[in-house]
Amino acid sequence: MIRACDLFKSYGSADNPFPVLRGISLDIEDGEFAVILGASGSGKSTLLNVLSGLETPDQGDVYYEEKKITGLSESELTRFRREQVGFIFQQYYLLPHMNVDKNVKMGADLSGNKDYREVIEAVGLGDKLEKLPGELSGGEQQRVSVARALAKKPRVLFLDEPTGALDEATGRLVLDYICRLQKMYHFTVVMVTHNQNIAQMAHKVILMNSGKIRDLYRNDTQKTAYEIGW
Amino acid sequence: MVVELKDAAKFTGIFIISCCAVFVCTLFLNFNMDMAGIRDEIAPGPVTVFYEAQVSSGKMISYVSGGCLLLTSVIMLFFYIKHYIDSHRKELGILKALGYSDFKIARGFWVFGFSVLVGTGVGFGGAFLLMPRFYRVMNEENILPDIAVQFHFSLLVCLVLIPAASFSALAVLYGCRKLGSPVLTLLSGKQGGIFKIRRQKKSGRKNLSFLQDLRQSTARSRISLVFFIGFASFCYSSMMQMTFGMDELASPMFTAIIFVIGIVLSFTTLLLSVTTVVDSNTKTIAMMRVFGYSQKDCRKAILDGYRPVAYTGFAIGTAYQYGLVKGMVSIIFKDVPEVPDYTFNWQALFITLLSFAVVYECMMLCYSVRIKNISLKEIMLERV
Repeated sequence: MIRACDLFKSYGSADNPFPVLRGISLDIEDGEFAVILGASGSGKSTLLNVLSGLETPDQGDVYYEEKKITGLSESELTRFRREQVGFIFQQYYLLPHMNVDKNVKMGADLSGNKDYREVIEAVGLGDKLEKLPGELSGGEQQRVSVARALAKKPRVLFLDEPTGALDEATGRLVLDYICRLQKMYHFTVVMVTHNQNIAQMAHKVILMNSGKIRDLYRNDTQKTAYEIGW
Repeated sequence: MVVELKDAAKFTGIFIISCCAVFVCTLFLNFNMDMAGIRDEIAPGPVTVFYEAQVSSGKMISYVSGGCLLLTSVIMLFFYIKHYIDSHRKELGILKALGYSDFKIARGFWVFGFSVLVGTGVGFGGAFLLMPRFYRVMNEENILPDIAVQFHFSLLVCLVLIPAASFSALAVLYGCRKLGSPVLTLLSGKQGGIFKIRRQKKSGRKNLSFLQDLRQSTARSRISLVFFIGFASFCYSSMMQMTFGMDELASPMFTAIIFVIGIVLSFTTLLLSVTTVVDSNTKTIAMMRVFGYSQKDCRKAILDGYRPVAYTGFAIGTAYQYGLVKGMVSIIFKDVPEVPDYTFNWQALFITLLSFAVVYECMMLCYSVRIKNISLKEIMLERV
């Protein structure tokens, strides 16, 4: 379980701080699909960064089970990320001079996963192992980044606007893959998006505004990527 | 104007290399030209032999060092223009989309020749400042009649004005050629220039780990940087060993010049190259850190691929300096009496190698700290 307790975070100088997170507390259960929803500047990406250990809060703590990750040293945080979490970004960030196989291997090597090609097959790119990112469509590139993140067998998958750069059909396809793979591998999903429709796919929805949680609710039923609006 | 004068400041490498090249060439060529004025005053015999040896060594040093440094400057110019175009692809694409022709955009690249003008100008002026002392040292035993320092306008034209104009023209022409990419390719920001994405060979690379693979592909995707890192080590190795090894053959001033040029040239080239390696891999490093690769892993993957290149450059530099000095001694000074035999200086090699290893590894350690400081947020905050 991920537990955030009273998180505060500001940017800017000490004289002129710009508060981004203002007292966030939440719990995300193991295997849960949580969506952080909010407009631009609401603090949702910062919350994702803090929850994943990419940033440290000015105040408050983040726990994974009973382990507090706030206050860990840089090398301890690196080890934590290596062992616990995977990331998927809006811009994919694949290594341009390495083919699909090698890009996914980037994640797989961290966990000693020798069977990483299963994940590539699972995202439907088994026939494109030798392709370079520049030779793939946006949707295919995002599927590579999904495979890369999952090849390291994370306990928690963090996604920052994973469909932000994709068209509707491709976006649905990528979300469908993520949901299916979550059922297959049982990892926790924490996704940041501004698309309210995607929230219908989640178990838990965290609605943010101006650095605070405005609403937090659970969906009784989850829709699939092809059942939601866009 | 697309390229502004302040952009020329980024060409520190070209500035320093052209400065060193013109400094050395001006010293020796001016000395040779001034010596030509006293040719008639020299009686045949040992003095003529000494005179001819001075002329030949001056020519050889000027041609070898000048030519070598000129070639490096041209490669560096191309490298920087490609780098400039690649890092400004979108802006250049917008200009082309608005209807600017390739030439109209590229003609702004003339300012890159400005760094050559400044470099050669400083080198030329610096050489004249040192020239009276240089002349005294070159004729320390008064074997030749007194040689007065004279200004030769032709040298100014050949070593300062023509190179600057040529580099400006070369920059415009090369820029014109590199801007030939279609507008949409430039606008999309896809890499197609400096860091060409090379497809990996399939055979024999199946069992490499990701880090080994990245190390190899990082080095292979940046051939020009491989050259510069090899060149920096080459300069360090050859010039340091020449400094130590020529103490019986050359004056302290001459060895001091070689020493200073060797240090400046090799360090500048190495610093600029490694900085470019790290800067152009910022996203890869940030991504690796996000995924949980350690600082050590990142350093190994990004920088360690260049180590064999550096030490190979060092080895070539060792062979080069030995061949050059041996050649000079056996060809140029063959008729000069009492020239000591030149043998390979193992002590100089050991000292140079040790100092090189210490300096190189310390530099890599510094860049490792820089890698550590690459903010993970850089990648997280980036948006379309």
